[in-house]
Amino acid sequence: MESFFVRYRNLLVLLALLAVQIVGLAVQVHRSNSGRMSLDPRDSSGVRLIRLWANALVSPPERLIHSTRDGTVNLWQNYVDLRHVRQQNQDLQKTIDRLRLEQAALLEDARQGERLQGLLHFQEKYIYKTVAAQVIGSSGSQQSQVFYIGKGEDDGLKRDMAVITPDGIVGKVREVYPHSAQVLMINDQTSGAGVILETTRIRGILRGNAAGRLEIVGILSDNRIQPGEQVMTAGGDLVFPRGLPVGQVQKVVPDPDRDSFIDVILKPAAQLDRLDEVLVVTSTQPHFSAEQQKDMATSQTLDGAQVAADAAQKKASEVREERLPGLVEPNLPPEQQPLHDSTPPNPIPAQPPAPLHPDAFSPAAEAGSDTAAPAQQGTQQAAPPGQAKAGAKTPKPHPATPPRRKP
Amino acid sequence: MSVLSANSRHSLEIHRFPILMYALVPLISLVLQAWLPRVLGRFAWFDLPLVVTVYFALGRRSPIQGTLMGGALGIFEDALTHHAIGINGIAKTVVGFLAASMGVWVDVENRPLRVVLIFLLSLVSSGLYLFVYRVLLGLNLDTNWLAELYKAVGNSVIAAVAFPLLDRFQIRD
Repeated sequence: MESFFVRYRNLLVLLALLAVQIVGLAVQVHRSNSGRMSLDPRDSSGVRLIRLWANALVSPPERLIHSTRDGTVNLWQNYVDLRHVRQQNQDLQKTIDRLRLEQAALLEDARQGERLQGLLHFQEKYIYKTVAAQVIGSSGSQQSQVFYIGKGEDDGLKRDMAVITPDGIVGKVREVYPHSAQVLMINDQTSGAGVILETTRIRGILRGNAAGRLEIVGILSDNRIQPGEQVMTAGGDLVFPRGLPVGQVQKVVPDPDRDSFIDVILKPAAQLDRLDEVLVVTSTQPHFSAEQQKDMATSQTLDGAQVAADAAQKKASEVREERLPGLVEPNLPPEQQPLHDSTPPNPIPAQPPAPLHPDAFSPAAEAGSDTAAPAQQGTQQAAPPGQAKAGAKTPKPHPATPPRRKP
Repeated sequence: MSVLSANSRHSLEIHRFPILMYALVPLISLVLQAWLPRVLGRFAWFDLPLVVTVYFALGRRSPIQGTLMGGALGIFEDALTHHAIGINGIAKTVVGFLAASMGVWVDVENRPLRVVLIFLLSLVSSGLYLFVYRVLLGLNLDTNWLAELYKAVGNSVIAAVAFPLLDRFQIRD
């Protein structure tokens, strides 16, 4: 029996090691409700411990390499920049003062916009707080598109926080350690994000393919999708805020697995293979620092001062109006107002006006041309009855100076 | 054939290294494997822990040592990914065992032969990785075989350069 173990010890060690690892793998996967096998999204304590050890072993040298490289690169640049730093500092201070006021106004607008959207039951999220982190390492495997950043639990990072750059989205925090965190990139095969095409408003799920490229899957064939169209986050995945740039449609290919479906290949907006620094969205709720709140208070004070100035100007206008002659007497009824006119506007004359020089074709001449002399006709028509009557009721002429109001 | 087979005393010699080498070289390979893809991007077609595993397994000619080293480095690699721990571990455990077993039969001083071995074992490792991922675990994973081929070529190139350098640290009688 002893000779068996001695003779086959190499093979036995191999089998034992394989068996241990297979059992370890078996506890890490589970069967989902749909019958498909999948990895647990959250690592068990044992697995997390192994990852923590590996990270603790690899991260310090990576940080050392990173800081050494950056320090060497920045040394000369910083020395050159110091030559004009005082003047630049003064200029920047002025810019900061100006931007702070602008920012206060913008924050006020944002807060107002959020209130309005709350009224409309929108659930749009805002990026209010981010943490900048440097990329210190990767998984080292083509099949696992993850990288490590130099900020962790101590900096307020948590699982499933969105990771972005100013250019576009990058991924989400998958695992958090005390001083570092693992980020799952959007071009990994197990990644997923809800996206929407900007022009056609078609929604889809973003993931990575075997080559590490971005693609949108689960889209019915649609010839409206053209290369060059911009793709944004849809905001329905509870990770990425809505409206962040994702990429640009590069080409559309048929889905190899499903007929009548297509895959949309994207060119990512962020440089996924050249990441140095990223932003982790730590809060999508409104959060204003003490300084920002102070600026907003200043802005509101300025608004109040503006309102007070408007009110003072209005009051001055009223005083000036009271000193000027008025056209309306507030204590008298409307029919006794000094400018009251009882005649209807544009009174219609009872008869057409008499011609100044009547002739044979004038209406009066036709009626009694054979009985009246032209001179008489002219005299009679110069003062027709209607006109004389109206002249008797001529309203009083407007007074040159209307009565003053009572003080 | 005598060139390939380990039939001379020199060929059967077991390589010995300073103790520090057994700790530092695997650690450096892990750190570089995690850091270099940041610099090279998608062109990081190599697997340094695999190269180190094969180097020590071939040189030591001990299947048990090769198995253990391969398993340990594979598990460390898995721990840095977001996949299950053990996939790379199984692949490199088998590769370490195979490399050490081959070291008994072939002349490990023959550089071209070592490069060819690295190329073949890289493909074996990729195949085992996919076998475990797809068959044993039943998970879905698309594969870019061209990238795996590039990786095998990259490993061979690195081995051609690194193996002679590492040989300089051998303890010779």
